[in-house]
Amino acid sequence: MSSIIKISGLTFVYQGSKVPALDQINMDVKQGDFIGIIGPTGAGKTTLALCMNGVIPHFYPGDFYGSVWVDGKDTVENDCAVLAGSIGSVFQDPEAQMVAMVVEDELAFGLENLNLPRHEMERRITEALEITGISHLRYHSTSRLSGGQKQRVAIASAIALHPKILVLDEPTSELDPQGTEIVYDTLKNLNENHGITIIVIEQKIQYLAQYCSRLMVMDKGKIVIEGSCREVLARQDILKPLGINCPPVTQLAHMLKERGLYHGEYPLKVDEAYMVISKVLQDWGNFK
Amino acid sequence: MPALVEYIPKDTLVHRLNPITKILWTLAVLSVCFILQEPLAIFIVLLSNILVAWLSGVLKQVIPAIIGLFIFSLVLILFQIFFVKEGNTLFYVIPFINLGRVTDVGLKFSAVLALRMLATTSTIPILMTTTQMKDIIVVLTEKCRVPFKYSFMLVTALRFIPTFIEEMDQILQAQRSRGYETDTSNPFKKLFIIIPLAIPLLILSVKKAEKMAISMEVRGFGAGPRSYYNRVDMKKTDYAVIALLGTITLAVLIM
Ligand SMILES: Nc1ncnc2c1ncn2[C@@H]1O[C@H](COP(=O)(O)OP(=O)(O)OP(=O)(O)O)[C@@H](O)[C@H]1O
Ligand SMILES: [Mg+2]
Repeated sequence: MSSIIKISGLTFVYQGSKVPALDQINMDVKQGDFIGIIGPTGAGKTTLALCMNGVIPHFYPGDFYGSVWVDGKDTVENDCAVLAGSIGSVFQDPEAQMVAMVVEDELAFGLENLNLPRHEMERRITEALEITGISHLRYHSTSRLSGGQKQRVAIASAIALHPKILVLDEPTSELDPQGTEIVYDTLKNLNENHGITIIVIEQKIQYLAQYCSRLMVMDKGKIVIEGSCREVLARQDILKPLGINCPPVTQLAHMLKERGLYHGEYPLKVDEAYMVISKVLQDWGNFK
Repeated sequence: MPALVEYIPKDTLVHRLNPITKILWTLAVLSVCFILQEPLAIFIVLLSNILVAWLSGVLKQVIPAIIGLFIFSLVLILFQIFFVKEGNTLFYVIPFINLGRVTDVGLKFSAVLALRMLATTSTIPILMTTTQMKDIIVVLTEKCRVPFKYSFMLVTALRFIPTFIEEMDQILQAQRSRGYETDTSNPFKKLFIIIPLAIPLLILSVKKAEKMAISMEVRGFGAGPRSYYNRVDMKKTDYAVIALLGTITLAVLIM
């Protein structure tokens, strides 16, 4: 697979700040990846997302070193509006991204910018609302939505544009577990059935472990570890000090490992944990 | 933190007008007020603005801004009225020592100035409460060929001015009750008191506009030609309103 995002030696210092918000970031995203980014507050996750959609350096002044290529376009040379043809964005603050007063118009806004005919807009709006499960909100006022509803409208607005890449900054921070699950199932569907590359910043590690193909941990503007979920979750020595709690099933396996009862791979999901425990119990029986 | 002047979703004739028509209306009011020299005539223009606000169902939101503007214009009168030496003396503020002479010319001059300011700026909150910010930016950029960044600056200023003036009075009163020296008659001193209070408001307003600009651009606004989901063409009512505005402006100019 070819890379769809290539970041080399990216350092960014916000104007007026002394410490770099991003420090020598190298990243290679392959088409079809589902990448999760996690890290403590102030790690630079949002800043990294803003570098991908071109908001940095086009809107935020500061010192920008290195290069960011998105779908064959240099983000310094191309405006956000041009990059929007390849990358869809969902911001951390859903309130700030609403431009229209009615949900339908909110979705239509981006489609209008693509210069689509009306019937195509109509079709895509219906589709995006259905995918995100908010068809009933179509004619609602955007200012009267709850935080979670706003987040889903923001996701629907982004996916209606049919981007190749979707970058989402804590898209489920205001959703309950059920709503979060729906969003991740949607992302999984987009990723598996439509080939959309997904980059999601998330605090709740259990969802990343369950859905992502790759995990990146950031701290103080750097990528601390990167790899498959299993590889990353195995490094509890690094995750613990950063305050990242592993999913309970992984923690359980870790405790079993510490006591020398288990030596295999880390489980990420409940059914995998079931296998682990069965195996441990079986070995225990054999041992006796 | 005070709220910025926001769009009030309603379905009225004024809401349905094309943003261009409404912008032309503010410009027509502006020109008429500068052609007119009689306080009464300008006062009628002001009343017509209030009528428009009432027709749009945004009177409740617009009135506080107009009151703020009114207080501001009173201050404007105070700064002007004593400096006009021409004309017949009407009265003295302190009669026995003949201090604070007010002439008929001075009074009229100040009234025209204050009313003009009131009538021309009171259209802004009406425009902003009846038109979505997105739509104003789209027509300015698409139809009037104003560069994207300037459209945003203009709209930010438009949103900021009425709120600024409305809040100024409240801020000053609050400060006064806490013992700040805001009663000073020295306009420069007054400015120095106001500026630090206004800055948070300005920052809020700019931040909000910036977020909106970012949100519009990452969804492809400004990349090329665009289509419209709901037609924003000029309708018959738009042409009728524009014709009416043109006629009135022309009539005032000739008279
Ligand atoms: N507009 C800005 N101007 C100056 N500094 C900023 C700006 N935005 C963020 N920073 C700084 O850059 C660093 C990284 O911030 P960033 O928002 O990317 O972190 P984050 O990982 O997204 O955190 P969170 O989990 O809280 O969202 C922080 O130290 C922050 O204070
Ligand atoms: Mg963040």
